[in-house]
Amino acid sequence: MKNMITLILVFFGLVTALKEINESFLMPESVNKALQLKKLYRDSALVVSGGTASVQLVTKMLISPAAIISLENLPLNYVKKKGNMIEIGATTTAAEILESDGVPNCLLEAAKGIHGLALKQNATIGGNIFTPAPGGDMATALLSLDAQLIMSSSRGRRIVPLTKFYKGPLTYNIRSDELLIAIRIGKPPKHSMFMKQSIYKYGGQTLASVSVALDSVDKVKRVGVAVGGLTPHPYRASRVEKMLLGQKISEELIETTAQNVAEEASDTGLVSREYLRHLAGVLYKRILTRLTSSR
Amino acid sequence: MMIRFYLDGQLVEVDVKPTDTLLKVLVDKLGLTSVHYGCGEGSCGACMVLVDDKLRYSCLTFAASVNDKKVTTVAGLLSDHELSPLQKKFVENNAAQCGYCTPGMVLVAKALLDKNPSPSDEEIFDALAGNLCRCTGYVPIVKAVKSAARR
Ligand SMILES: Cc1cc2nc3c(=O)[nH]c(=O)nc-3n(C[C@H](O)[C@H](O)[C@H](O)COP(=O)(O)OP(=O)(O)OC[C@H]3O[C@@H](n4cnc5c(N)ncnc54)[C@H](O)[C@@H]3O)c2cc1C
Ligand code: FES
Ligand code: FES
Repeated sequence: MKNMITLILVFFGLVTALKEINESFLMPESVNKALQLKKLYRDSALVVSGGTASVQLVTKMLISPAAIISLENLPLNYVKKKGNMIEIGATTTAAEILESDGVPNCLLEAAKGIHGLALKQNATIGGNIFTPAPGGDMATALLSLDAQLIMSSSRGRRIVPLTKFYKGPLTYNIRSDELLIAIRIGKPPKHSMFMKQSIYKYGGQTLASVSVALDSVDKVKRVGVAVGGLTPHPYRASRVEKMLLGQKISEELIETTAQNVAEEASDTGLVSREYLRHLAGVLYKRILTRLTSSR
Repeated sequence: MMIRFYLDGQLVEVDVKPTDTLLKVLVDKLGLTSVHYGCGEGSCGACMVLVDDKLRYSCLTFAASVNDKKVTTVAGLLSDHELSPLQKKFVENNAAQCGYCTPGMVLVAKALLDKNPSPSDEEIFDALAGNLCRCTGYVPIVKAVKSAARR
């Protein structure tokens, strides 16, 4: 018993000592080391990838983390083809995605739409998935592609479909000892397109975005329609998808389905929710019209 | 914590807090005037630097992350007190009025031209989209970048 108590005390002493020493900026060089740190600090640490959304949380004093874990030195910036699949490391930036081969069109368009060279060189795909509207353009594209997230912890790996990742505003299906390591996209469909409307042509926040991925415009067997900007995190317009399945896409079908794209919308303070709903419908119609015009 | 990095070619050592931004350290601790505070949230580009060869908003970068790295501000583009050819094009084209945005504009233009020596107008607009200018109306800036580009 006495031994047990000593052991527990030593353990807690060790953890506290480690925390005190590390109460600082941590830049692990390996994924394993990063996962150990995440396990130690759990939600008391701030994870920083490109920093474009997370650093402000500290400078604006919205959070005061016990430690900062930077993912900058991890070997997670890559786009790899694995058989029929594409795997993108969590710290891959929009600029790196734009320079890679084999990336589905809608994801390229979302990366291209991130304004300015500096933001493109820093905004990572992993960070984008966590960033609520008006961020999250790449997340919208990934959602239409049925992307899967690889979560890792020192206990092992877990695959979470992006469709099951958002549980509410800033609430995610990720455990406190996990990090998002990579994103997988299964065999990308033949057609995909992303469009967004932002405040200015070159710059400004994204108001609404739509991404559509589809195997055929003549007889739809697989389709993903994702909408961003209307809600804190993007959602799948499942009613629209059901209406499209098995159909040949005609002008008439585009018109009727467009009424169902905006399932919900929250006031952003920038524009009214009615305008956001209108935008989502317009972007959806533009995408399907473009995709069918190449028929 | 102590960090060391090359600042415009010179090794500097400075004591920082883990939560200090690079902008704060460069301006408040090291007294630089070649980096500007505009918004503190990534919206204006006035605080731009290069870390190694990558553009960084210094307001969105923790200073501790540049330990052992190379930080270049617009002042680091000079050689022997001579402006670089790109900087000269900014002068010739009146692309700086008050000059507040200029460090960011020049560094983004440099990063663009290093990768893509003959960008289209569209590519220049797109690259500079994260940098705000209150004075010039952007036309002289785009002209300066175009004249520095290889044709
Ligand atoms: C001026 C400005 C304009 C912007 N414009 C756009 C735009 O046009 N489109 C757009 O989509 N976004 C935009 N954003 C938002 C943001 O830049 C992007 O969403 C970007 O992709 C976020 O990625 P990051 O690497 O910077 O994330 P970070 O800021 O580093 O992280 C964001 C969040 O994700 C968490 N996180 C990051 N990586 C991981 C991981 N691997 N595992 C676990 N947690 C992780 C962090 O803890 C943090 O909470 C803009 C931001 C700014 C400042
Ligand atoms: S001060 Fe950094 S972008 Fe405005
Ligand atoms: S020259 Fe004054 S802000 Fe651009």
